[in-house]
Amino acid sequence: MAQIAKNILLVDDNPLYLKLLSQAFTKEGFACQTVLSAGEAINKLTSYTPDAILSDYEMPDMNGMEFRKQLLQLPAYQDIPFIFLTGNKDTQLMTAGLGLQAVDYVLKDTPVNVIVAKLNSLLNTVQKQRELSQQEIRRAAAALNIRVVPDKIPAMNGLQVDFWHKDYQDIPGGDFIDFIETDDRYAFILLGDIMGKRWKAWFFIFTFLSYIRAAIRFSILSGEHSTAVILQKVNYIVCHDDMLRDVLSSLSLLRVDRVTGQLFYAGAGDMPLLHYHAQSGELKQVNSSGLLLGMFADGSYDEQEIKLNSNDRLFIFTDGLTDYAAEEGKKSDYDSFALRLQQLLTYNPSFESLKQELVPKIETLVDDCTIIQIHKI
Amino acid sequence: MIYIVKEDKYLQVDVNLTEANLNNANEFKTQIISLLDQKKKSIVLNLAQVQYIDSSFLGAIVAALKHAISMQLDVILVGLQPDIHNLVKLIRLDKVFKIYNDYSEVL
Repeated sequence: MAQIAKNILLVDDNPLYLKLLSQAFTKEGFACQTVLSAGEAINKLTSYTPDAILSDYEMPDMNGMEFRKQLLQLPAYQDIPFIFLTGNKDTQLMTAGLGLQAVDYVLKDTPVNVIVAKLNSLLNTVQKQRELSQQEIRRAAAALNIRVVPDKIPAMNGLQVDFWHKDYQDIPGGDFIDFIETDDRYAFILLGDIMGKRWKAWFFIFTFLSYIRAAIRFSILSGEHSTAVILQKVNYIVCHDDMLRDVLSSLSLLRVDRVTGQLFYAGAGDMPLLHYHAQSGELKQVNSSGLLLGMFADGSYDEQEIKLNSNDRLFIFTDGLTDYAAEEGKKSDYDSFALRLQQLLTYNPSFESLKQELVPKIETLVDDCTIIQIHKI
Repeated sequence: MIYIVKEDKYLQVDVNLTEANLNNANEFKTQIISLLDQKKKSIVLNLAQVQYIDSSFLGAIVAALKHAISMQLDVILVGLQPDIHNLVKLIRLDKVFKIYNDYSEVL
């Protein structure tokens, strides 16, 4: 797997020292950004998240200590490992700095290669701790039998369903897939994305999924099959649940009638699906009108039938596939994704080879990625 | 992160971010909601500087809109970059937000 360069932000009012440090770190494979003051650093952080910050202590306007204090007040930045660079051997000062959760102190006359080694060791420790916490949570989730991606896909007459899911940086995020067989006749396929990332989104998934599963089963029991009605029910509950206040989720919900082979769809703030018409070679957007779950009590959901002909394919996916990191910054580009998909489909690829082509490279990935393909055989 | 450019019938607010994401979403939401509470005026949010928005930040803008609606106020979006405008339309947020090219169109 490609090694991703660690980003570090270097803050020092001495441009020469900054250049020296930056060259040494770059040589060691780090990606550096440099700024000449703490004020500039704070501005920079609004659009850039480094893996670590190395800051001079003595700077005009705002010194390193003040800078650290400001960062500690901002939840988004307070956990970024921070190292003070100082020419001062004052132990009182060092103690004060460590009280501000500066992870380390380095004297400026330390040889640069030692500073690099120190930073490497610090980042390794942080990474190890993070992995241990993740393992703990994964174990807890496994014990509770909580899964956001199913093990198996129910058999459906004439339809081949494949899916692929990748967590962003291997930390579970907001995407969830489920296949639900309610009886011999109906099966539901759903793909959702809780807005927000990482563990926080992941925790909300279970509440959402429980509501969705319950709404589907209760609806079928009472003779109601419409995906739009099911979405409306889920949305109503989510909007009235205080625990889920301000939590929003997209959802694509499909119902397969295994007797007639019909496919019905309703969407909630989801990316429009893409339907590949094998005969004409066209890839068409399947739009729905529904709003994100949790937005307003009336989500304007509607159901439509999607008619797949032989060899047609339907793609349901989350924004992790349309968003990517480019040199000029991150981008969302649904149209380019659709165009690429259409070009690839002209070769009639298997899902496996399509996946290899479509999936963003690890360096350009910015979010969880999930795609489901329904192929009419 | 956000700056009040002008205060008249609306609060005209610039968002000074190139990448609006999970790291700044919560802070943004807190600031906009406290502006709504203090000023009790609808907000026109200028996103012209923003090149990329992730779903966490979109969630924060929606949370601000919901808060505004509960006060019978509004959050209006202006200056959306084409990619972002397209994304907003794709997920139907254009049905809930009023969207204009710039401040002058709002007034």
